[in-house]
Amino acid sequence: MAVITMNSSDVGPKALATTRAAAVRGFRRGDRIFRLVTFAAALSVLVILCGVMLSLLFGAWPALRTFGFGFFIHATWNPVKDVFGALAAIYGTLVTSVLAMLLAVPVSFGIAVFLTELCPWWLRRPIGIAVELLAGIPSIIYGIWGLFVFLPFVQSVIQPFLINLFAPIPVLNILFAGPPYGIGTFSAAFILAIMVVPFITAVTRDVFETVPAVLKEAAYGIGATRLEVVRRVVIPYTRTGLVGGVMLGLGRALGETMAVTFVIGNAHAISSSLLAPGTTISAVIANEFNEATDPMYISSLIALGLILFFITFVVLAISRLLLMRIEDAEAK
Amino acid sequence: MTAEPALVQKVTIRDLKFFYGDTQALKAISLPLYEHKVTAFIGPSGCGKSTLLRVLNRMYDLYPRQRAEGEVLLDGDDILAPTTDINLLRSRIGMVFQKPTPFPMSIYDNIAFGIKLYERLTKSELDQRVEGALRSAALWDEVKDKLKSSGLSLSGGQQQRLCIARTVAIQPEVILLDEPASALDPISTAKIEELIDELSAHYTIAVVTHNMQQAARVSDYTAFMYLGSLVEFGETPKIFTAPQQKQTQDYITGRFG
Repeated sequence: MAVITMNSSDVGPKALATTRAAAVRGFRRGDRIFRLVTFAAALSVLVILCGVMLSLLFGAWPALRTFGFGFFIHATWNPVKDVFGALAAIYGTLVTSVLAMLLAVPVSFGIAVFLTELCPWWLRRPIGIAVELLAGIPSIIYGIWGLFVFLPFVQSVIQPFLINLFAPIPVLNILFAGPPYGIGTFSAAFILAIMVVPFITAVTRDVFETVPAVLKEAAYGIGATRLEVVRRVVIPYTRTGLVGGVMLGLGRALGETMAVTFVIGNAHAISSSLLAPGTTISAVIANEFNEATDPMYISSLIALGLILFFITFVVLAISRLLLMRIEDAEAK
Repeated sequence: MTAEPALVQKVTIRDLKFFYGDTQALKAISLPLYEHKVTAFIGPSGCGKSTLLRVLNRMYDLYPRQRAEGEVLLDGDDILAPTTDINLLRSRIGMVFQKPTPFPMSIYDNIAFGIKLYERLTKSELDQRVEGALRSAALWDEVKDKLKSSGLSLSGGQQQRLCIARTVAIQPEVILLDEPASALDPISTAKIEELIDELSAHYTIAVVTHNMQQAARVSDYTAFMYLGSLVEFGETPKIFTAPQQKQTQDYITGRFG
């Protein structure tokens, strides 16, 4: 072995050039294969996406052909008479998600600001880990907890309080009209908010930590307080990331199924009161797929899935647009 | 010839020790910063120059396990005392960092931000103050037509002058400059040095620098630090022509460091 090594290290410049050329050819082949493999992996994303979209379109076609545009603007959902309209589910999906974001975003930003700017160092890790654990709880657990623990509390305390509080205020007294059922759109939104808080918090904290220490020191250095540093330096600096975090939370809220199904009441109705039972797209699908035997029923459920797919796509597109606008404004 | 006005000790540092956790970074430093004079801090990397500056506006307060012992008097009041209002202190002792740190906002707002923290001004008063600050940082002519554009759109040298303008705008009494020109090209550096000279008429200035010539050019007093200790402090011409300590002489002649 040692002899061979000695010999090969003794080869002349010409022989060395030949072996090098061979090695380089080997590299090139390896590179080509590597390129193909990674390209295939990337391509599979597109293939799967198109597959999902096509099968959704295929499955939804009978319902869309029968009901036409009316499918999107009618709230009637009557499996007995085979009449289906998606409006109640679309409405419920959008309202629960938006309401959840209204509740969750301020809380998440608060937690993230506290964790990155104010929290004593020994408390940072415990709270940070708790937030991450919260994100890891399966949604079915939120559902059970919501139904058996949270709803009775909502019904006996929170909802009566809201009803009484807003009773004398026009508009709001319609949004928060009784009776306190416990289950309903508001409760679903509340549970959703709890579920998305850890996601938004995690992203927000990460982007807050990207702010260079020296930039914050500069702001502190001219006498700014922590609130002013957060408001005028940290948040403007991280705008793009914050929008991303909020959109991530919104995406999750839109598609969340189990927990919502437990607490929303599953009523195909659009009610003026946020406290009344409602439903969401994913809750309808999860609840009714088992009992859907009629082809038109199944097709209508798949059409709901298509709509949800479309809504999340639009949310993503809007967030992209927002990010581009922010980046443009910053480049000026 | 007019007589030199008597020297006033704007800042007096007495027996200052500083710790990062268990590591002692400053060992019993004592020296004055004279009012309306430029004091340069020189010494090899890690000698504690920047640490000393960060004590003067208590920037170290932001971080755990960093603490200072001793006395730092600003006009006779100990700024290390727990009762010191840190925000007020930092509005009296401004700081400019090694790397330019414009805030993510317009050029105008970069300056106005600090002013608005402490003063209620009308729009026209504020405009005047912003213009004045930009003029005193020799930046006005370059940015007067684009005050609304982002501070990040400026060149490195302009950004650094913006940061100086921002510091000047809140009318501090002392300005700390931590290697303000080390990230800049020679032309920008020359502008910053000129600026330091002009500012010293109104402010007490402490500047950390790695550049011997710069220290010799801009400062009235020079402090040479080594391994957390103050080796020598004196009038700049004396330090550079007739240093008392062997270490100082070795450093300024480039024999070590």
